[in-house]
Amino acid sequence: MSQLALTDVFVPDAAVLTDADFAAIVREHQATVFSIAYNFLRDAGQAEELAQDVFLQFYKNLGRIESRDHAANWLRRATCHRAIDFTRKRAAAREVALESAPEPSSEPAARDPFLREHLRKLIASLPARKRLLVILRYQEEMEMDEIATAMKMPARTVRTQLWRTMAHLREKAARLLGEAGSGLATPPKGERQP
Amino acid sequence: MSSFDDELRGALRRVEPPPGFAERVLARVAAERARPGWRAHLRRVFGPAPLRLAAVAALALVIVAGVGYERHARGEEAKRQVLLALRITARQLQAAERGVQRLNARQREPKETIR
Amino acid sequence: MKRIITVLTLATVSLWAGPQDIKFPASLEKLADKAEEVTDITLDANTLGFASSFLSDKTKDEKAAKDLVKGLKGIYIRSYEFEEEGAYSMADLGEIRSQLKPPEWVSIVSVRSKKDGENTQIYLKKQEGKIVGLTILAAEPTELTIVHIVGSIKPEDLAKLGGNFGIPNISMGPAGDNWDDF
Repeated sequence: MSQLALTDVFVPDAAVLTDADFAAIVREHQATVFSIAYNFLRDAGQAEELAQDVFLQFYKNLGRIESRDHAANWLRRATCHRAIDFTRKRAAAREVALESAPEPSSEPAARDPFLREHLRKLIASLPARKRLLVILRYQEEMEMDEIATAMKMPARTVRTQLWRTMAHLREKAARLLGEAGSGLATPPKGERQP
Repeated sequence: MSSFDDELRGALRRVEPPPGFAERVLARVAAERARPGWRAHLRRVFGPAPLRLAAVAALALVIVAGVGYERHARGEEAKRQVLLALRITARQLQAAERGVQRLNARQREPKETIR
Repeated sequence: MKRIITVLTLATVSLWAGPQDIKFPASLEKLADKAEEVTDITLDANTLGFASSFLSDKTKDEKAAKDLVKGLKGIYIRSYEFEEEGAYSMADLGEIRSQLKPPEWVSIVSVRSKKDGENTQIYLKKQEGKIVGLTILAAEPTELTIVHIVGSIKPEDLAKLGGNFGIPNISMGPAGDNWDDF
């Protein structure tokens, strides 16, 4: 049956947004949500499941969304919380203390062409909250106070934890990557412990 | 900015989900809508009908990537429906005309209402 | 040959229904359940006005459509295609036909072909010398179509329907012999 429904915006229901409208919103934000999930879980299937859960939750809460910025922030926040819950429920990623992350048995190559892949594995080895801090900072380019809101943490705690995590990551990367990782262990000038 | 930070950003760049992701989300939304209790949930979230009207109308304008996009999509659909309606009307008028012409040819009478 | 019934259908979705002159009976909705394919078009004045702003002057069809819908208040179409004959009866149209009676409505064309199985009726409504409504009831063995148009209609505009929208020229209208004589 073909029937025009131009006035569906006035139907008192979340379905007032047509499917095409909601799909447009999903497409606008899907890379953000999926990437946070994927970089957190390092599993495309689980990342998609988590991302779908987030958008379904978003759909149910459309009435609370006030603006596009609000939608973006809401989605990031929801993804973070679901990621933490996901880990708890499914034990999808065994949290390994950064110091205990296994080192490659072979000698590190002088130039490691898979540097970024190694970094991803290092990030995946981080505890859940610290992993998210790094993702929100370096994938989403969020400011500290934005990360604090998304993670429901005090801003000072975010700064402290992020600084320490980055210090460990650099040190680990330098050891893991050998000469290829040289120069990575030193934090940039001007960056000091909070 | 250190090279390590650059490498981290490169390692954590955004990636698109597999193709068809939005469609799969819509499928889950449709399944959810079919569940009992869905409308009760919406009433809790959106409030009474007048507020829902206002809230949802405002949301539709704000959330969708540009009011223009939504308006354009609706306008194109309206245009499609108008053209379809006129096409159907034209087809039926022409069918009636053919019928009249056939009868005229058979009965050799001028075009007039035949009962 | 199939008998095609065109039935003008009034919108049953009251929230969005325009000012139809005739009411579509509930029995038509039951036909929708039996039909293999249903076309349900409800275009009120607001929708027509909105659509008009998207109709281009650059293509023949769209320009013709734009001219046609200018004075219209509504277009309502219901079309049902059935898999088999006998899915509906002429009695289903009884309630609609009862609304298309003089003095308001006049039948200007009534064509029945037993051989072809077609039964088509066209009704016009006139006010102060102008056509303000058009209803087509077209019946075929496995198809029933109702077209109901409300608003100012010029015969020459109707003729424009022919030669556009993929339909060959329609000679009804400008010849004037049917439209003005009732």
